[in-house]
Amino acid sequence: MAILETRQLNKHFGGLHVTGNVDFALEPGEMHCLIGPNGAGKSTFFRLILGEHMPDSGHILYDGSDITRNKPFERIRRGISVKFQVPGIFKELSVRQNLEIALQHHVAPLMLHEEIDRLLEFLKLSADHMQLAGNLSHGQKQWLEIGMAVALKPKLLLLDEPTAGMTPDETFATGEMLQELNREGMTLLAVEHDMAFVRQIAHQVTVLHFGKVFAQGTIDEIVADERVTAIYLGEADA
Amino acid sequence: MSHPSRFTAFLKLVEGPQTLGKGPKFWSVFALVLLAACIYPQFADSYDVGNNVYFFNWLFMAMGLSLIWGYGGALSFGQTAFFGVAGYAYGVLTINLGDAYGLTLVSLLLAVGISALFAAILGYFLFYGRISGVFLGIVTLSVTLVLERFMAQTAGPQWAIGKARLNGFNGMGAMPSLTIPWPGGAIVLYPDVTLYYVTLALLVSVYLGLRILVNSRFGNVIVAIRENPLRAEMLGYDIRKYQLITFVIGSALAGLSGVLYTSWGNYITPASMGMTAASLPIVWVAVGGRSDLTTTLIGALAVLIVFQTLTIYGSQYALVVMGALLVITVLIAPRGIVIALSDLLPARKSKMKGEV
Amino acid sequence: MEFLYSLFSFLYQFGDAFAFLVLSACGLAVIFGMMGVINLAHGEFILCGAYVSTSVTHMGVPLPLAILAGSVAAGIAGMIVEVAVIRPLYKRPLDTIVATWGISMIVTQGTLIVLGTTMAGSGTPFGSFSIGNYSYSVYRVVLMIMALVTLAALWLMFTKTRFGILARATIQVPHVAEALGVNTNLVYSMTFGLGAALAGLAGGLYAPTMTLVPTMGSSFMVEAFVTVVVGGADIFLGTAPAAVVLGFIKATLTSWQGQLAGQIGMLIAVIIVIRILPRGISGKILKERA
Repeated sequence: MAILETRQLNKHFGGLHVTGNVDFALEPGEMHCLIGPNGAGKSTFFRLILGEHMPDSGHILYDGSDITRNKPFERIRRGISVKFQVPGIFKELSVRQNLEIALQHHVAPLMLHEEIDRLLEFLKLSADHMQLAGNLSHGQKQWLEIGMAVALKPKLLLLDEPTAGMTPDETFATGEMLQELNREGMTLLAVEHDMAFVRQIAHQVTVLHFGKVFAQGTIDEIVADERVTAIYLGEADA
Repeated sequence: MSHPSRFTAFLKLVEGPQTLGKGPKFWSVFALVLLAACIYPQFADSYDVGNNVYFFNWLFMAMGLSLIWGYGGALSFGQTAFFGVAGYAYGVLTINLGDAYGLTLVSLLLAVGISALFAAILGYFLFYGRISGVFLGIVTLSVTLVLERFMAQTAGPQWAIGKARLNGFNGMGAMPSLTIPWPGGAIVLYPDVTLYYVTLALLVSVYLGLRILVNSRFGNVIVAIRENPLRAEMLGYDIRKYQLITFVIGSALAGLSGVLYTSWGNYITPASMGMTAASLPIVWVAVGGRSDLTTTLIGALAVLIVFQTLTIYGSQYALVVMGALLVITVLIAPRGIVIALSDLLPARKSKMKGEV
Repeated sequence: MEFLYSLFSFLYQFGDAFAFLVLSACGLAVIFGMMGVINLAHGEFILCGAYVSTSVTHMGVPLPLAILAGSVAAGIAGMIVEVAVIRPLYKRPLDTIVATWGISMIVTQGTLIVLGTTMAGSGTPFGSFSIGNYSYSVYRVVLMIMALVTLAALWLMFTKTRFGILARATIQVPHVAEALGVNTNLVYSMTFGLGAALAGLAGGLYAPTMTLVPTMGSSFMVEAFVTVVVGGADIFLGTAPAAVVLGFIKATLTSWQGQLAGQIGMLIAVIIVIRILPRGISGKILKERA
């Protein structure tokens, strides 16, 4: 059974259909990338899954139950977690406290600091744990937010352009982090532009175009698909 | 504190990332200040001591605003509304119930409860309506102003609750002071030395209690909401609930100030909720440094004393000075003057790398 | 006939409430809508308009010119405040509220110290007319017309003039406007000045009907606030419809229970509206359209 499924999911703003009847299914344990030209509806699709926007019609099923009308925090508590495109961190608080806030929900007080230290090491942020989060480098901020998202021990992790603004080395290291999480059983769904990164992590790729599922397959199948090349070229022309 | 481990356990509760003052040095100074506050009445005229309780009365409201605005990031202009509601409620209750059998203390609890309930109803609509930051300020201010106008027109015998006349613009008076039932004669808390110690004890407990609160998991979440509400929600927190609880606690503290003030002067007027009154808590809290309880306390007390001193020369000028102080603080030292001054000290500079 | 008289009486009350809401709110709404700043010194710009126009009337200048003078004076004061206090705080909306609040305190008290507790008014012009058993003030009808004229003028300004188009461009995409050579700082100053001038206009228009005291600004504040809260960020899609709805509520309650009931009812309505439409009427409309 799919861990996440959308059925005929629709959202429009005024006359503009941002997502049109999206049918999408994600298998547990999968690492799935969502690509598509700008304005393809990727971010809106994420917001619908998170409950930041309500769909006009259609359903979202998560882990066997319908979450279409649930509030964002209720979805998070069921095991969905997200990393935003622009790092969403608590800038005026220390790195350590950022992680503490993410962890304190479900980790016993006695275990808390041990758990924070483990996460810091995973994120390569041990040396900077007392820094204010706002003072980290851009790549470190991205990692910190991934850490906060992961701290919830989600079954499904959504990542909106997790490597945006990273150096190639940082991008590669991020890919390794995500692969490690996946090996531990986490399902990942990422919106990504960087094709090298997609090749590094994705088992399956879905192409969105004008709010619809345009193509689906492995990265090699997608790259070989001439229609996909055409829509990207179309964008380059525009 | 003879038991060292108990002391460290206490420190663990009251210290943390959300409060600046920590370590043996801070607590030694704290103990010294407390000691000075305790022996002060021995060296002063009891009439003056009673008068100076006035300053303490306001500090609860200031700490409440620090919690709502400084920690929670929600700017409320409604502190004086809750102050007034509780003050009037205390008046109405005690005039009807009398001061025997500790009923004034029951009235105190009820009055604070009424202001908390009022805050909960208002806060429910505002926070569950997900009102944006700037609107919270103007809606709470509107509520305050309308409440003042409402109370100002309650002149005449038809505006009475039981035996208590509201008296419109002139305000309500002659309610009994807080009275503690005691074997061998009730202790009436007139403005003198006993009231001073009771209020001081209350102040220290609220201060320490709030320190525990802001350094707890709950405190972590409210500062997280201040920093980035969306991220906080996407960590699974129902942020509306946290904002509402913070608002109710902070507003109830304003209510406590209202009761203490009303009992202290046996008097409450609609003007205590007006535009001028509503502006003062903002000044106290902004000038000291709203994002920390200790700097809020220091700042509020300092501004209150300066204001009172200036009032001797003319309260009109005092308000101009307060306004100027507010503008200058926001422009030059947005985190508050106490924090700005401590930033200037070289030892602190390396520790506090936040925005200047 | 009796019914028509009552109907007219209600329409008059509604028009009066509508005009007061529009005129007291539009300056606040322009500044909030264009700059995201809530100007708590709004009442003091109203005060400025009222005092300047009344003093100028006392010198023998005709009322329309005097009102214009009040509005211009408030506009200039607004531009000075923008440069000195608002500009450094653009990225900190809560701090601008606090700073403008400080200005409000200084101006109210300063006026009290310099000009005393009250100022001689100029009296309401034009007399009255009666329909049925009631008599009505002609000047109030003029105020209703002025509210509509102000809305129309603002609409023309923001859609047809160069300033209006530049201002909207600056608000929507500041960096693009800057790259195109628009002096965005000047646009912000002028927008704030415009908002202050509109407040001054309200002050000038209402000065003949009110007692002039240094705290008079605060008697406009509740109406201005609730209109902007319900209306949201857009003056035409928000402020105007909000004033219609709130004017209706206020007129109904005022004619039934008096002035204060009108105000309380309006405020309660607003608090309930927040729960349903957190971004105001214009937010709702824009969301449907966008």
